[in-house]
Amino acid sequence: MRRFLFSFLILALVLGGGLSSVSYGQTASGSKVAARANSSLKLALPLKDNSLRFAVIGDTGSGTDKQQQVADMMVRYRTIFPFEFVLMMGDNLYGAESAIDFEKKFSDVYKTLLDDKVKFYATLGNHDLPIQINYENFNMNGKEYYRVKKGNVAFYSLNSNYMDQKQVKWLEDELAKDTSEWKVCFFHHPPYSSAGKHGSDKQLREVVEPIFLKYGVNVVLTGHDHVYERIKPQKGIYYFVSGAGGKLRSGDIRESSTLTEKSYDRDMHFMLFEVVGDQMYFQAISRTGETVDSGVLVNQRKQK
Amino acid sequence: MKEKMKLGMGFFWVALVLSLVCFPNLSHAGVEPAQTKPEPQVSAGDKHVITLFENRVKNYLKLRNKVKAKLPALSKDSTPEQIESYRKRFEDALRSARAGTQRGDIFSATAADYIRRTLRTEFKGKDRAELREIVFEAETQGVPLRVNYPYPETKELTEMPPTLLLKLPQLPKEVKYRFVGRNMLLVDRDSNLIIDYMTGALP
Repeated sequence: MRRFLFSFLILALVLGGGLSSVSYGQTASGSKVAARANSSLKLALPLKDNSLRFAVIGDTGSGTDKQQQVADMMVRYRTIFPFEFVLMMGDNLYGAESAIDFEKKFSDVYKTLLDDKVKFYATLGNHDLPIQINYENFNMNGKEYYRVKKGNVAFYSLNSNYMDQKQVKWLEDELAKDTSEWKVCFFHHPPYSSAGKHGSDKQLREVVEPIFLKYGVNVVLTGHDHVYERIKPQKGIYYFVSGAGGKLRSGDIRESSTLTEKSYDRDMHFMLFEVVGDQMYFQAISRTGETVDSGVLVNQRKQK
Repeated sequence: MKEKMKLGMGFFWVALVLSLVCFPNLSHAGVEPAQTKPEPQVSAGDKHVITLFENRVKNYLKLRNKVKAKLPALSKDSTPEQIESYRKRFEDALRSARAGTQRGDIFSATAADYIRRTLRTEFKGKDRAELREIVFEAETQGVPLRVNYPYPETKELTEMPPTLLLKLPQLPKEVKYRFVGRNMLLVDRDSNLIIDYMTGALP
């Protein structure tokens, strides 16, 4: 019965538009100057003391003005929601990958965040050369797949381009000994997606989903499809597609899809997350600052 | 009091019904056993073919690591300039060291035949359709089918379906299988060189 009541709590928050939106003026942090400049921003996250705060971007590396505009909006939101790090869903650099491309498509775009010591954790997409694992600002430590622990959350960056036996074994071994409260996997190809261009990667799903279920992965973050989509929980796992941080495939979501809880394909976006104990709050924000989705996920293990 | 209880129960049933309608799978959160397909039996002849293929890959690895050892090491927190310079130098050095390498030096005729058979027999019906869908959606037109040539950095790297990778001979992390159309390539991870290729791999 408790499980159903928790389900209802999520439902109520989702149907009710997530958390009540609060403007910056009602929060306590930041300078007055920033408050004036960003008074139009709406934060749908609780901004609790000692919470874990991070952002998510995917399919960013186009080097276009619109990628820059998404980055600028992230900077503005950081004045009211100081996130510590950013997870990248892959396709970090489209096209050429010379030194100048790393600047044009990444370090120049996110310069303000990098200057503020915000760390980026990348994963490889189908447009990324594997040698990116050695790039200082992607923090991959020379590895195609890796784990990073932040507070009570373990993040697993996987290489979904190449999910071979070695990686599967590594993932199982790591998850099996992981006692973190939250286990979040992020990678490029979405096991579930309602987008028309790519859609659900069933071959990948066949291999990774049983592992996620066996070892209690809570949340899966992906990109590849250039849209935003929050998938209805699948076998209890929360899935997101966040693949429009630098490219957009407008109108690509199939409206007939039964997978979608909420989607947005009219503009580019980024996401913010805040973890408070057994609750994970999220907010998806468009390039122009519109909140396109928000809500809270309850840790599945706490529902038992 | 009774009214309050009635109201409370009503609220509960509404919550229950809504939860079941909107989150039919949530109650399954947690553990589900992994479903594994039975592994196919590999004949003694095929085992031998796989061993020889793996040995040729190991020989390649020895050579590339020897070449790599002569280059200044690439650190795990390199700048873009260091990455670009390293990639170019590694590519050039490896090409020189492998001058004269022929197509089929690693994908021998018997190895290529084994891979074609594996794909044909292991991927049928829906599985094959999904495999082809993944491979053919990648934009790889213009990738040269030439040994010792770099895989163009502007071209997409096809996702290798995990169900397929679990069935192919295993490779060290420095070497990757890649599809270009129906053809299969072996590509060096760090230098991006096409080490070898076979045609018509995908049925």
